[in-house]
This record gives sequence, C-alpha cells and structure tokens, in this order.
Amino acid sequence: MATEIRKGERAVAVSKDAPPPVRPSRTVSYWLYLVPSGVLFTVVIGAPFVASVVLGFTRWQGIGAPTWIGLENYQRLFQDERFWQSFEHNLVLILAMAVIPTFLGLVLASVLFDFVGKRYGARTASGLRAAFYLPQVLPVAVAGVVWTWILKPTGGALNAVLEAIGLPGQDWLGDESLALPSVGGILVWLQIGYPVVIFMSGLQRVDPSLYEAAEIDGAGWWRRFRHITVPQIRPEIYVVLLTCTIAALKVFGPIYVLTRGGPGGATNVPSYFSYQNFFQKTQVGYGSAIATVLTLVIVAVTFLFLRAQRRGEETS
Amino acid sequence: MIALRRHAVLTALIVLAVVMLVPFAIVLINAVKTPAEYSSGGPLALPESIHLDALRTFWERVDFGRKLWNSALIAGTVAFLAVVLSVLNAYAFGIGRVKGSTWILAVFLLANTLPQEQLVYPLYYGAKWLGLYDTRLSVIIIMTVIQAAFGTYLLSAVFGTFPRSLLEAAELDGAGRWRILWRVVVPISRPTLTVLMIFFFIWTWNEFFLPLVFLISNDNQTVPVALATTAGDKYMDATMQSAASLLGVLPAIVFFLLFQRTLTRGITVGAIK
Amino acid sequence: MQKKSRIPVLRGLAALAVGMMALAACGGGSDENGPSGAKELRLWHYESADGAMGKAWSAAIAKFEETHPGVKVKFEEKSFEQINQSGAMALNSNEAPDILEYNKGNATAGLIAKQGLLTDMSDEVVKRGWDKLLSPSLQTTAKYDDRGIMGEGNWYGIPNYGEFVSVYYNKDLFKKYDLEVPTTLDDFTKVMDEFVAEGVTPLANAGAEYPAQQYLYQLALSKADRAWVDRYQLYKGKNDFKDPAWTYAATTFADWVSKGYIAKNSAGTKAEDMGVSFMKGDFPILVSGSWWWGRFQTDVKNFEWGSFLFPGNTLHAGSSGNLWVVPEKSKAKDLAYDFIDITMSKEIQNLLGNSGGVPVAADPAAISDPKSKELIELFGKVNSADSLAFYPDWPAPGYYDVLVQNTQKLINGSAAPNAFLDAIAGPYDENLQDQGLGD
Repeated sequence: MATEIRKGERAVAVSKDAPPPVRPSRTVSYWLYLVPSGVLFTVVIGAPFVASVVLGFTRWQGIGAPTWIGLENYQRLFQDERFWQSFEHNLVLILAMAVIPTFLGLVLASVLFDFVGKRYGARTASGLRAAFYLPQVLPVAVAGVVWTWILKPTGGALNAVLEAIGLPGQDWLGDESLALPSVGGILVWLQIGYPVVIFMSGLQRVDPSLYEAAEIDGAGWWRRFRHITVPQIRPEIYVVLLTCTIAALKVFGPIYVLTRGGPGGATNVPSYFSYQNFFQKTQVGYGSAIATVLTLVIVAVTFLFLRAQRRGEETS
Repeated sequence: MIALRRHAVLTALIVLAVVMLVPFAIVLINAVKTPAEYSSGGPLALPESIHLDALRTFWERVDFGRKLWNSALIAGTVAFLAVVLSVLNAYAFGIGRVKGSTWILAVFLLANTLPQEQLVYPLYYGAKWLGLYDTRLSVIIIMTVIQAAFGTYLLSAVFGTFPRSLLEAAELDGAGRWRILWRVVVPISRPTLTVLMIFFFIWTWNEFFLPLVFLISNDNQTVPVALATTAGDKYMDATMQSAASLLGVLPAIVFFLLFQRTLTRGITVGAIK
Repeated sequence: MQKKSRIPVLRGLAALAVGMMALAACGGGSDENGPSGAKELRLWHYESADGAMGKAWSAAIAKFEETHPGVKVKFEEKSFEQINQSGAMALNSNEAPDILEYNKGNATAGLIAKQGLLTDMSDEVVKRGWDKLLSPSLQTTAKYDDRGIMGEGNWYGIPNYGEFVSVYYNKDLFKKYDLEVPTTLDDFTKVMDEFVAEGVTPLANAGAEYPAQQYLYQLALSKADRAWVDRYQLYKGKNDFKDPAWTYAATTFADWVSKGYIAKNSAGTKAEDMGVSFMKGDFPILVSGSWWWGRFQTDVKNFEWGSFLFPGNTLHAGSSGNLWVVPEKSKAKDLAYDFIDITMSKEIQNLLGNSGGVPVAADPAAISDPKSKELIELFGKVNSADSLAFYPDWPAPGYYDVLVQNTQKLINGSAAPNAFLDAIAGPYDENLQDQGLGD
C-alpha cells in the first residue's frame, strides 16, 4: 500500500514498512528510472502493436494501402474451428514447456546446489549444469532436424534402442496420437536448462546458515527442499512458470521444424495460423487479427498470473 | 552404504547429462562426414574418417568471420543494454514499489507476449521511415526492448525480496537512490544479473526471425541467418548444415562456459549482513 | 476506400496507420536506372554453389564481367527461407538488388508482380527472343496477369531451367528380383506386387513434406488432360474434386498404402530422409523431382540407378525452375537483361546441363556426361509434348500445408478417400472466393 505525494516537480514515495528518509534534494523519483524503457517500449512495441491491432480490421497484403473491412476478419476467425481447437494442444505444451521443466528444474537445481556441489565440488555441479543448459544453445532449426533423425520409425536411434531391449518401435512423429506427446518430450529437453540455471543462481542468494541449521537439526534433503529451497527462491519459480507458459502459448519454431502442425493437424498450434497468414498467404490483415486474439489470451493469462503472484508474495 | 547412494545420485545425473547431449554428438558426427558417406550410411552412422571440408567450405562461402562479428556485436550490445534497462526498471518496481506496478509490468511484458510476426510489418515500415532498415542498429534496439521486458520481470521479483535493512542502512549513511542502486543493490544481485546477461546473449545470438527480416544484405547478417543457406527448398545439405551449426554453436558455448564461473562465485548474503 | 466503421477513434487510427504506411511505401523513389551509368550489378540467388544452377550462374557472372568491362557484379548468396519470408520487404526498400532469383507461382512471383515490385519485361523478351526458347508450359510461370495469376499477361520473369517428376529406381534391386522397367501403370503395379511379395516396401515416401502429394498428383494426372490442368491450376472452368481423376487418385493412393506399396509409417517422414533412404538402398523406387538427379549422381555409390517417366502418364508434375526477376527499383535494368541473356546462351545452358541440371535451351549434342544426357533426354520428351502439369499445391497460397496434413491422414488411415477430397476442396474454394474468382 504505497502512496504517492506529488509536490511540484518532486515526488516522494512513502512505503508502509520503511518511513521515508527525508532528503528530497538528493532523491530521484523512482518513476524516472522507468523513462528510458518507457520511451523505447512505446516506439518498438507500443506503436507497432496499436498499428497491428488496426491492421486486424483491414485486408492487406503487406505492401500498398490496406482496405478497411471492419470486423470481417474476426467473424471469419470465430468461425474457424481449427483455430480454437488448436488451443487444446497448448494445454499439453504448457505441461511440457512450463510445468514439467519447472518441477524437474527445481529438483535438479537443488540436487546440484545442495548435494552435488557440496560433496563433489562446485566444478562438478557447474559441469552438469552446463550439460543441462546446452540444448538451449542449439538453434531450434538444427535441433528439429536432429530429433527427426532420432525419432525416425525405421533406422531411428530411439526405436533401435527400444528394439534392442525387446520393446516395439513407434512412429513417433507420424502417428497422430503419438506426435503431440513426442513433441512435448522434445520441448522438455529443450526447456529444462533454463529453469536449472535460474534456480541455481537464485539459490546463491539463500543464506547458507539456513541449510547448516537444518542439517544440524537432522533435516533430510526432501525437508530442506520443501522448507528452505522452494520458499527462498519463490520469485524465480513464479518467473519461470509465467515466462514458460507464455512461451508455450506462442510456441512456433519447434512445431514448424518438427511437424509443421502435422500429422493431419495433430500438433497444430494457434501461432502456426498467424504465421501461415502472414507469410504463406500474405494475408497480413487476417494474420494480425489472429495474432491480436492470441495476444489477448496471453495478456489475460499474464495478468491473472501476476495478480496471483503478488498475492502470494504478500502472504508469504 | 552412504557412499554408494551418494554415487548413485551422481551416476544418475551423469547419465541424464549424456542423454541430453546426444543430439550434439549427432551434429558432430555429421559435421565431419562427406556428403556421400552421409547419403549412403544415413545420419546416425559413425564417420569412417574425419573430413573438415564442410567446415572450411562453409566458412569461406558465407564469409563466416564477418557473421561472427555481426552476431557478437549485436548479441553483446543487446545483452549489456538490456541488463541496464532491466536494472533501472526493476529498481522502480521491486524496490521503489511504484504505484500500479502490476499493471505496468503486464504492459512491459507485452514485448515478450506478442508474437514477433505481429510486430514485423509495422516495425519494417518504421525502420524504413527512420532509415534504419538493413542496419544492425535496428535489430539491437528491437531485441534490447524485448529482452529487457523479461529482465525487468525477473529482477523485479528478485528485488522484491531484497533485505530492507540493507537499504535503510545505506540511506542512513546518506546515500541517494542512484548510489544505493549501483553500490548496494547491483553488487548483491550479481548472480542474477549474470544469468540475465547469459540468457540475453544466447537468446539474441540464436534469434533467427528478426535478423532474417531486418538484415537483408549479407554484410550485416548474423550466424543463424547464414546457417539457413544450408537448408534448401527441396532437401537440405545435411553435412554442411551440421558443420555450420557446429561453427555457430561453439561461440555461444564458449560464452556460457566463460560466464559460468561468475555464476558459481556469487556473493553470499550472509557476508554482507 | 470505403470505411464501414462507426468508431471515430479506430477510424482515426486506421487513417494514421494507412497514411504512415503509404508515406513509408512511397519514400525514397529511385528512378535513376540510367542505362549506361551503372557500374555495378547487384545480384542475389539462393542456389548452392556446387549445384548445377550454382555452377552455371557463377560462370554466367564471370562471362558478364568479361563482356562488360568496368562493371562489377556484386553477388550475394541468400537462403530460400530469406527470400520466401522477407523478399517482398527487401524489394520494397532501397536495398533491393538489380536482379534476383525468385520463386515461381501465384503466391510468390505473382503476388509481388501484382504489388508492382517487379519490372514488366515483355518488350525485352520479344526483342531478345527469349520467348522462342521456352515451351508454352515453361512460359506459364513467367507471365502473370494484373491479379497476379500465372499463365497470361505480362512477362515478369525468365526461367532458364526446368524441373519434372519422374520415377527413380534402383537397378540392382530390380535385377536381384528379375524385374523389368514398367511401361504401363498396370505393369508398375505388378512390379510393386513382386517387391511386396519379397518383403520389400517398393516406394520411398515422405508424408511430412511434398513427396506424398506428388504421388497423389501423378495418379490424378494419369486420368487427366490439359483442360483438367487448366481448370485446377489456372481456374479456367470449375475444378471438381469428385471427378474421376481426383477420386481415382485418392482411392488408389489409399489402396497403395493398404497394399504395402507405401509404408504405413511414412506420414512423419521428411523429403530429405526419404532421399537418404533411397540412396542407402532401403527402397527400390522413388517418385520425385529432377532436383534429386545431381545429388544421386554424386552421392549414390553402392548401386546403379536409373529413371523413367511415370508409366502411362501423358502429363507429369513439373514446371519451369525459379525465375530471374528484375525489381522495379533496380538501378541497372539493362545490365540485368544482359545478364539474363547470358544465362540463356548455349555456353551457360550447356554447362547447366553437364552439371546435372535441366537446361531449357541447351544443345543436346554438347552434353557429354552420359547420366546428364539421360536426364535431358527425359526432360526433352516431357517438354516437347508440353506435358508439364505444375505442382498440386500451387492453386492456393498455403495449400501446401493443406495437402500435407490431409495426405498424412490418408496414409494413417484416419481419413477415407472421400473425406480427404472434401477436406482439400474447402481451402481451394475458399481461395477462389478470396481472390474474387468464384462463381
């Protein structure tokens, strides 16, 4: 419950837990720190976003003058069942890109920091961290090619391993019921390094004496994980969950290189529709309408999440 | 017994790490094959001998030194500028707790939530109007804003838990807000800032779409755009592509390993208390 | 431009955005295409340097510099992806090159021709006699009308190579099972039955990319004539997806999968992996385009291979290759025409032919490599009968994905032939309406 008092050109923030030190002459308002980003944001994101929302009401091929057609694009979009159905695939992808990596990342980061780092030395822990992070470095186009080689139904590496241990091989990316889970698995591989690195850096902030005290009390790894690790790096957990959810909602690259939405539409995602309209059909107006709807969905999710996060922080 | 269990965890982690790296091994073995060997044996066969022709040819064909420089310049500048912007914003949100920060943060996050293709036409016309089309500066500016949105969010959350006692102590010593930011807040947050720097560098390094659209002349192009010349329309040049990705990935890996040291060092909060 | 909006704010913003775009679009007009003044020819293409076109064109560049002393060719290699996604933006800017390779078809060259980004070179074509070197079906992709639809109208590009779909076969495997090259579709079916009986899947296929739809299209063409192609591709009359040709194609394709001619697990395979599996000798037969020829020629070492036209067909999938186009903003149009002229010369065309490409105006006697000669003779048969029928995904932008996804369902058996035809009819008809071509 911070209140703002404006006096002429000076503004002084009053926070509930710390009485403000009264040194107005040397104190710059916190608002001023937002000015550089505010300007850049308006130019690079704000104005283009407004322009694209407007373009959503036009028919336009990217060059020349757009034609105003009102709500036609939206009428068309709301009738397009495939677009709305493709959001269902997003739910699976949120699991693969946000939920599983966050959970696995927490466990891995905590084991590396609290267990491997302490018993085998920081070098071992960083080496393993680097290995988990590397998939993030490989360009997605290349990763896609390599994974199709691994998952090929005949002569693929995964099926060769399965057949060697007596299990039947599968058509991972070609079977309509397996394609989405397969893509999900690849996305877990792709994403996992991101939470591991963030969480490990978050753990640096934790006061080591907390862990020492817990160990003296005889708390096992699981109890330390639940009562120290997770609460202490809660800010990072929120950030990872939200950014990964956003990434899952607008995922495009991996789908494009792995399946292009196939087989038979089994891995179609909303962003693929906007891509198709922007670049394959050059229907920039319709593409903008699709992207605007997708953006609204993501913004709504973001806002709800941020509110939950703030409440969570206040209660903790 | 305990020793055995201890090693079991380590062994499991190492096995997992090796599995994670399998795709890299596949890239590596194909980078050193001849095209004929790849075609007759398939992508998963081991090379009979090591051929570095594809690496050399690709380097010369796309003037790879130049691409490396462009990518390093763009990714390095973006990483630095975006961290600075993130710190400034997060200071206002996380520590200053300016009014309506949830709303403003949600708006800032638009940079992250918008699909890039939605912005591309307006940005293209804007860049053309400003005379920035086909300049590295255009990509630097756009990427800085996009990355800073993420950084602002992460840092705001982290700064939100910043020990108030440290700030009050500094204020009592007579430090202004600007000084507190750079002398107290930034040094203590160094591990997180390093993470941001690494992420920004590597994300920008791998960014494909915006450089593809905005850097049309070869002199300005980045590594991923050059890499795309190995993916044809009807089929691809697999050995060349593997060689090219190896060349493109190495600098990013080196960068990560260099900064990893800073990541581990960190500053213990306890020492400051 | 009529505005239907009743919301003043939105209308204002729209006007602002439109104004901004229009302003930006007009900015920096460069009409100084001085015929003699230019000292540089900026040229882009996206062929790999060691392919047939790459080799021929670098020879053409050398030849051009030789015949134009004092003029430098500034060549930049682009990627297919880059031209595909941001080519129009580049051509609409001052960074546009003087001449470049561009993808043929309504959705690509047709679109930017309609947008006024390309130079109409009809006069030049007649003056230099390029039209005499190209057969009617090759010319189709070079001409676009004011709606951007190919076939009629002005010349906006010049192709100098061709491509066509044929049947590649592994001679060693044919010999092993004592099989002959089939000449009719019935014979072809018998050959495939033999392979299936021996436990070999005869056809290499890739459901995730273009190959599967080309099988389908070849089957449709086996029951089609030129008027059918004109209906489907050029909108001359109403295309009916329930006609005998389409119905035959869909049912036969599904039949081929169930009989095991086409692997049931090929829905997720990519073209590259299909090619490699043929080159490894895993499959005896591959139906695909002439773009594989040069690759097979250099990379296949373990067996003898050959090619024949799809048995019994008078029409074959195929078209001209990509086009040389001259941007409206080119500052050296005359030099660009000179360059195109060189690429059409016997010298360069013969080099293209000898490197495994399909030249449009080569001297057959000058093709020395026997394998290349085989290819060019095959193309000669197709071209002289004017039987190029283009590709199935051409009629509508984004149709490629429609065909890929629905053919996958046909392979997986999750859609019956009839449902398949309904599914591909929808987006086709939708495009006709979008373009104002529907009835």
